[in-house]
Amino acid sequence: MSFWWRRAIVSAVVGVLFAFLLVFMLRAIFGLDPLWQGNVVATVAGLFGGLGFLYGIGCFDYWLTWAKGRPVSSEDHSFHGVSNWKQYFRINTDHKVIGIQYMAMTLFFMVCGGIMALLIRTELAAPGQQIVDGQAYNGLLSMHATLMIFVFAVPVFGGIANYVLPIMLGAKDMAFPRLNALSFWFLPVSGFLFLASTFTGMFGAAWTAYPPLASQGTAGQTLFELGVQFAGASSIATAINFLATIITMRAPGMTIWRMPILAWATGVTSVLVVFATPFIAGSQFLTMFDRVMGTHFFVPDQGGDVIMYQHIFWFYSHPAVYIMLLPGFGIISEVIATFARKPLFGYRAMAFSMVAIGVLGFGVWAHHMFVSGMAAWLRVPMMITTIIIAVPTGVKMWSWLATLWRGKIHMKAPMLWAMGFLFTFLIGGLSGVFNGIVPADIQLSDTYFITAHLHYVLYGGSVYTIFAGIYYWFPKATGKMLNERLSQWHFWLTFIGTQITFMPMHWQGLQGMPRRVADYDPRFAMINGIETIGSYMLGIATIIFFYNVVISLRKGDPAPWNPWRGRTLEWMVSSPPPLFNFDVIPQVVGGPYQYGIPDARHAVVFAPEQFGGELTEDTRYPVLVVANDTLTSQGLIDEIRSRNADGLWSFEFLVPVGDDDRAVAERRLATTLAILAGFGIAATGRVADGEVITVAGDEGKSRQPYEILVATLPTASSAWMRQDAVDRIRKRSGIATSHIVVRGDDARALTAASALPLTMIVATDAVGADALAAVVMARFDAQPARFTIICPLDLPQPRWGSESSEIRRQAGERMTATINALVSVGVQVQGEVMDDGPADALPLAIDAFTPTQILVAGVNGEAAALAGAANAAAGETPVEIVNLGAPAGSE
Amino acid sequence: MATTTGHAPAPSHGQDTHGKKHGLNAELVGMLLFIGSEVMLFASLFTAYFFIRYGVSNEVWPPLKQDGEPFELPVMLTGINTLILVGSSFTLWWGERCLKAGDRKGLIRGLWVTILMGGTFLIIQFNEYAHLGFTPQDRAFSGAFYTLTGFHGAHVAVGLIILSMCLRRAYKNDFTATQHTPLAAGSYYWHFVDIVWVLLFLLVYVI
Repeated sequence: MSFWWRRAIVSAVVGVLFAFLLVFMLRAIFGLDPLWQGNVVATVAGLFGGLGFLYGIGCFDYWLTWAKGRPVSSEDHSFHGVSNWKQYFRINTDHKVIGIQYMAMTLFFMVCGGIMALLIRTELAAPGQQIVDGQAYNGLLSMHATLMIFVFAVPVFGGIANYVLPIMLGAKDMAFPRLNALSFWFLPVSGFLFLASTFTGMFGAAWTAYPPLASQGTAGQTLFELGVQFAGASSIATAINFLATIITMRAPGMTIWRMPILAWATGVTSVLVVFATPFIAGSQFLTMFDRVMGTHFFVPDQGGDVIMYQHIFWFYSHPAVYIMLLPGFGIISEVIATFARKPLFGYRAMAFSMVAIGVLGFGVWAHHMFVSGMAAWLRVPMMITTIIIAVPTGVKMWSWLATLWRGKIHMKAPMLWAMGFLFTFLIGGLSGVFNGIVPADIQLSDTYFITAHLHYVLYGGSVYTIFAGIYYWFPKATGKMLNERLSQWHFWLTFIGTQITFMPMHWQGLQGMPRRVADYDPRFAMINGIETIGSYMLGIATIIFFYNVVISLRKGDPAPWNPWRGRTLEWMVSSPPPLFNFDVIPQVVGGPYQYGIPDARHAVVFAPEQFGGELTEDTRYPVLVVANDTLTSQGLIDEIRSRNADGLWSFEFLVPVGDDDRAVAERRLATTLAILAGFGIAATGRVADGEVITVAGDEGKSRQPYEILVATLPTASSAWMRQDAVDRIRKRSGIATSHIVVRGDDARALTAASALPLTMIVATDAVGADALAAVVMARFDAQPARFTIICPLDLPQPRWGSESSEIRRQAGERMTATINALVSVGVQVQGEVMDDGPADALPLAIDAFTPTQILVAGVNGEAAALAGAANAAAGETPVEIVNLGAPAGSE
Repeated sequence: MATTTGHAPAPSHGQDTHGKKHGLNAELVGMLLFIGSEVMLFASLFTAYFFIRYGVSNEVWPPLKQDGEPFELPVMLTGINTLILVGSSFTLWWGERCLKAGDRKGLIRGLWVTILMGGTFLIIQFNEYAHLGFTPQDRAFSGAFYTLTGFHGAHVAVGLIILSMCLRRAYKNDFTATQHTPLAAGSYYWHFVDIVWVLLFLLVYVI
């Protein structure tokens, strides 16, 4: 055990002993009887034990040194970053390490809470008592909700945001790294206090802990109250940290309207946390004073008021629902935009709707209390605000759907979770409207309908989004890809399990089965049995998830910097990111969601050598592009342009040729490089003999590029994909390898957006002649260019007559033959047969194609006639005449 | 800034280029947000107080003790105490103004006076507790009274600790006219504590 943990345990024990002594001494001095009072001792011991642990693990060292007046260095990074996995277990100030600590800790509590849930479902599998009695059932139920809410769903988003938010904003760390560490270490204390209550008599007043029930009960209830204080302190500290980071640490150019939506979500959530969480602290202080000090806040015949607790409690706990949802909304927005390859629909509406949800969230709390006996006039206003809050939520829902609309959707694991979220959360949101309506709620309160609603909201809105986030950023955080097949299993089992477990609860609730009760009417036996099976599916799915994480960490595929082709800043650093994220703060130059816009760029990341200097982009990391059939295709060119916009990469093409003609490959490679050069993209390339997997794999191993891009035709028509080239290149080279799919027609067509010079060839009878093809090929080999062959036909009148049709048809066939011959050897060419004579057609054609050069090709002296028309139409464009001799088809 | 001891407890990486660029100091933003959260904590306690005062019980105000006598609060004495605490805000402001004018002695003097006034406030408060004639256990009202004033007292104590640390730093000459973020943060906190007390005095003692 390390020094820090020894110190932590010693000081926690000292804290507890000191608390015992303090309580006994004070009680003896004031003559209180009895000396041993479990509640009081538990409170004070929990407090001092927790603080002792935090001191021992090192959370306060720096501040105490400062407070003692000793010199401290604000640039002291001795607790920053990790070099081996053991250091994850001690205090750390690196936001990435804290993010991972958060995730591991909260997922651990999720498993604890999940086990409780399975025990609850096992007890409910059949009527009567199965495994626990009523009292233990209350304990399980309270513990399940408490763990899931206070130490899983609320802080887990802090974990994800901790990891990605500073990178997204272009910052080197959070605003207050040491406070960040403290907020994390509050969590184990809080969770420990909750779990420790198992040994003092579990608290059984549910996570809501309403008095007067909570005023009774065992010392476990006190530990609950204390645990909530620690969890709340953690939330507030981390929220202040996020807000200070968002307000003061954004990179230059990162205006608030260029922030990724996750930053908006975290900001709004943090405001909710800062201003709402003190209310639950207040409510728990009051119940604690009632229990420990003998005050009478909740004793009606002493002037107390039990409804007051519910008001204060829900003034936090309703916004807490949004604290558990809004960051998920942010994650989903990132995922959906990335996997639909479209700019996020209604970016500003998304941001404003979150602000609206946050503001309205403070005005709906009493809808949890319609049957509590509160002031009756409060019901209708709260009903109205509750229904209004569905409006901004609807804005978000429609914006996500509109983002998906006509996007190029990639159903990878993160996207699956996002889709699952849309479905599940929609049902939860709709049942929420039922609950918000007073007459319906009076009927539904405290039935399984509520259980169904809250699980649809929190499973759909929190758990699904958390998994979407984990699958999305796992490659970034670990440098390993998760196994996609297991990921899909995890999702589908969870999704089906969720529906089986929670869908029938709506019906059950409408039929009147009360929640939070260990036993039930036998007529619900069958439906409860089915739900229990569904919950076991959820358990199995979770096991698959952890198995997937473990094997992927051990031997998963290496992750490239940007496996999902996201556009936000965290994808412009390595996976995992370097210690301080960026060597130099990046400059943000555009919005974060410009998918499908080839040269759009979000930010410029400075080159390391230019630390502190001018903005330069000299240092570029090599990316190996493996392609053959797909060279010159618009799809590949666009992909390279979009990646090049990151300003980080240089591209090296590798064209493996097997039996195919090497000259063709070279010609196509030259064209591609020329097209890229036209966009100012420096790329090099070579043609290599050999089989693709061997050649690319070995090149990757020896050259060590940052990523390998393999561009192929769709799997069905690609010889490479039939050999599973992408996966095998990845295995052979050990380099992160991505796959780009190009449509077949795209691969053969003339590259539309290209700066290559365009030569227009004017020919009539020469079209179809081998000599013409030979001329074009020779010119192409001299300098890569694009060619347009125009065949102006002087058709006899009437043009719809059979004679004209025949001429047109023959010309078309000859044109197709020439084009095919040229394309098959890798020349960029297109052609058009025109219905007018040269004098009329050429001005139109030149106007449409704006060629850089005109080449008139004729046979048997017709060139002169064509040249006359061409010269007349050409204007400034140079015209050249080639006489080909023999007419077409005369050989 | 290798060892600028005058910096706040938790400085941020790259804050020198960024905090200034946006014209906002991360430490002060953090303190303001923390104060916002503290305001809400007091708001929750005031909520409890008003529920008890205007809640279900419908009793006379001030409510009656167990022995049938009404609770009585020493408004005069606490009024004087309020003036002392509010005055301490002004002495702190005066000290800060001296520092900004380059007068370190003035700052130390201001801090001393502030701390002594804050301490006086606490002593008078404890004295009041001892002579009130009711305990937190009497009725819901007394519980709410002690909770509110007790939480405030604890905040005054924390404020005094922060100001004492600032005083020590001031003696070590760690604050300059332009570099005194911890002092500024501490003074924000002290002003907040004072304003809350004024509210508390008006809402609990006077009306």
